[in-house]
Amino acid sequence: MSSLSEKVAVYISRDLYEKLRKLAEEGGFSDINEFVEFVLREVASASEVDMSKEDEEKVKERLRALGYI
Amino acid sequence: MKVLVIGLDCTPPRILFDKYGVELPNIGEFLEKCARYELRSCFPPITIPAWLCMFTGLSPGELGIYGFRHRKPGDVRESYIVDSRKVRARTIWEEASSKGLRVSVLGVPPTYPPKPVNGYMISDFTTPGPEKPYTWPPWLKREIESRFGRFIFDVVYRSWEKEKVYRELMQMLKQHLAVAKWLMREKPWDLFVYVEISVDRAHHAFWRYFDDQHPKHEKHAVLGDAIPRIYREIDKWFGEILSILPRDTAVLIASDHGAKSMKGAFAVNEWLIEQGFLKLREYPKKRGVDLSKEMVDWSSTLAWAWGGYYSRIFVNLMGREPFGVVKPEEYEGLVEDLKRSLERVRGPNGEQWKNIVVAPKEIYPRVEGDAPDLMAVFDDLYWRAAGTIGWGTPYLEENDRGPDDAVHDWKGVLAVYDPTDSLHGYRGEINITEVHRIIKGLLGL
Repeated sequence: MSSLSEKVAVYISRDLYEKLRKLAEEGGFSDINEFVEFVLREVASASEVDMSKEDEEKVKERLRALGYI
Repeated sequence: MKVLVIGLDCTPPRILFDKYGVELPNIGEFLEKCARYELRSCFPPITIPAWLCMFTGLSPGELGIYGFRHRKPGDVRESYIVDSRKVRARTIWEEASSKGLRVSVLGVPPTYPPKPVNGYMISDFTTPGPEKPYTWPPWLKREIESRFGRFIFDVVYRSWEKEKVYRELMQMLKQHLAVAKWLMREKPWDLFVYVEISVDRAHHAFWRYFDDQHPKHEKHAVLGDAIPRIYREIDKWFGEILSILPRDTAVLIASDHGAKSMKGAFAVNEWLIEQGFLKLREYPKKRGVDLSKEMVDWSSTLAWAWGGYYSRIFVNLMGREPFGVVKPEEYEGLVEDLKRSLERVRGPNGEQWKNIVVAPKEIYPRVEGDAPDLMAVFDDLYWRAAGTIGWGTPYLEENDRGPDDAVHDWKGVLAVYDPTDSLHGYRGEINITEVHRIIKGLLGL
């Protein structure tokens, strides 16, 4: 089984589960699992911040101007 | 119990406790209820690593973080700068998060890129820019911008357009204070950590107008009031937030290091050239040039240095550096020689300086990461270090990176208000790493 299709259980509080179930229904998701996977994937990709070479140069330049380096 | 930590980057005891030149009605009254300490900063007393030492309880050696930048063998300039991913140790907010406590973290260097926490985070002035994803959770950024506009991470203070610097600084401070207050009111938290960098910038930009002991003290109707106004703004805000904090909130006010007048900059590489430790292929025709790999005659060079608030000295060690000439068996002797020679450096008029020159292993329980061979401060920090060359002298009247009035000092501040404890008054000196233990205790971790 590939890691994409393999599923694992995560426990959340009942009241949050009920809220999410309602949102999933309203949003037209086939079930709460699909909704939770979608939302969490969005959070995970938004959090994958890469410090590019250009970003690093920008920060170095500022640190130099501030006299730290 | 909730714990609020207010970090004022660079605030010395002279300002917070002795009220030199400032009026702090709200903070002053609050301090009466606090245990007050002179906080001994780390070596080196610089924003990075100092806040990290405070919030992890570890020394720079254990963190493997000796400043903003580091080098790998073979590089003359920095190989990398420190961002949040270089911090391997657990911070107090990560410890609190892992125990289910809600945290809010604002402006603590270095927290970019923001790591997930059980709560909220806005990164610090080492963020590349406001267009970057600087918050946790990622959508907090949109909420911040819709309420407070584009987030201001820093100002360029090394400029002679001082009135402009002051306006921009005040604008940044007001925005940060408003964001902090909003986060405090609107988002749940058990631990709130807020570091304000404007104070440090104000000290560097306006100290000569503020401190009548400054060697270049100038009276100025507007700029003379810049530092007091910055503190007044913080004090006013502090009065406001006190009224919204639950009664059982513990409050810490802390700084990472202190501030004092800058007397000049000591160009370490100029001195190394004079003493025969560093040999150039050709001495630069221009003043204030950064040292580069191509400029150095490596076959005759024993050591070179970086500047900044302190100096890092690197030995051209065989087997470690690509053109190393110092044999491993000569290393300790050379380090000792450099150390003694640097300790004996005197001021431009032959005056005695208190120089502190140490090898990392002498002062840290462990030496991790990319440590320099020696670390040096000159004249007890009154003279900052300059790494540039071409000056024709090691003694520079001004900083090589542009106008600067202040240097850092060893002593910062710590005030602790614990609602369950009546301990108050001056309690002596405390090490910066001890703050971590105090916060942990207050949170019951």
